[in-house]
Amino acid sequence: MNQPNNMNNLFDKLHDLKSLFIYGEKLVPIIKSLVDFMKDTVPLLENINHSIADSTSKIPKATHQLNNVTSATELATTEILDLVDSVTNEVRGVEKTLKSFLITEEEKEKLLETLLPFIKDNNEALKIFEDYKSKSNTSNVIKSSFEALNTIKDQAYNITLSLQVQDITAQQLAAVNHLIESVQVRLSGLVSDLEVNEIKDFGNLSMPVPEGVSFDPNARYSKSDEGQQNVDDIIKTQLGNTSQDEIDKLFS
Amino acid sequence: MSLKFLVVDDSVTMRRIVINSLRNLGFEEIVEAGDGKEALTKLSSDDAINFVITDWNMPVLSGLELIRAIRSDEKTNAIPVLMVTTRGVKEDIIEALKARVNNYVVKPFTPQILREKIDQILASVSS
Repeated sequence: MNQPNNMNNLFDKLHDLKSLFIYGEKLVPIIKSLVDFMKDTVPLLENINHSIADSTSKIPKATHQLNNVTSATELATTEILDLVDSVTNEVRGVEKTLKSFLITEEEKEKLLETLLPFIKDNNEALKIFEDYKSKSNTSNVIKSSFEALNTIKDQAYNITLSLQVQDITAQQLAAVNHLIESVQVRLSGLVSDLEVNEIKDFGNLSMPVPEGVSFDPNARYSKSDEGQQNVDDIIKTQLGNTSQDEIDKLFS
Repeated sequence: MSLKFLVVDDSVTMRRIVINSLRNLGFEEIVEAGDGKEALTKLSSDDAINFVITDWNMPVLSGLELIRAIRSDEKTNAIPVLMVTTRGVKEDIIEALKARVNNYVVKPFTPQILREKIDQILASVSS
């Protein structure tokens, strides 16, 4: 009784073994293609690794160039400010000269008026006097010159105000630089991880800002008064929710 | 009341712009500092400074830390401080108010806004 059972078991095992061989035969091409795929992939991964290493090594140059842009714009802005100051000083100088010219003209006119009693009975002299007086009247010219000088001063000041864009773009560039440096740190990690055939999940890219560097990543240049209005509203709301004691403390 | 301003900003450009604006508004006595630490040194060596205009983002010592330092020193705690910064989000403004800033201007500013805020501070200080 036991003999046929053992034989049956043996046949079952042999059948399983045969199935395994058949399955193995089917699996061999798949394994082969997998090996081929790996052979193709390894140089590709090495290539990626080299590319990342290459890009990573270029990042310090990129950040250096961005810092150069900031320095160059700061230098250019300083030069513009110097020129604007120079123009404004020149204008102030012309204004001063014009004011003293106006005083001299007024004195000349007063002096001219003193002639009048001596020539009032001489019609011809009176006519020449009036003619000279009307031609020497420069007050309108001086007035319009003052207006033009004021316009130049206002516009020069507006140029100065517009140069606030330099500070704002400098902060934006500092924020970009910080982001690039964070990417560099992550990529450097990735390169070494690829070399040990293990890729980590880096998650968030944010990195602590190095000491001595300070910027507002949300800095933006806008001529709209919306930003200031928003600030004023928040201050009003905050003070509205605050007790008088706290307000007094805030503004004491 | 004669005003002597301390303008604090790490950007040379912004310092010049703020100083030019103050001069245009008729204020002549102005000193400057490139960060909060330098500002504290100027404040401790010059008793005549009675108005501070400061940026927020600065190396070494930020504008917010500067305000806290000014408020924690009984010699300087009454000095009005106006913050002029790019930071315009609510949390920042509340943080500055908690540090007891007197008023707040976002960059880019106009001379009208600067004048208005200085006047508001001076009115609240004198009342």
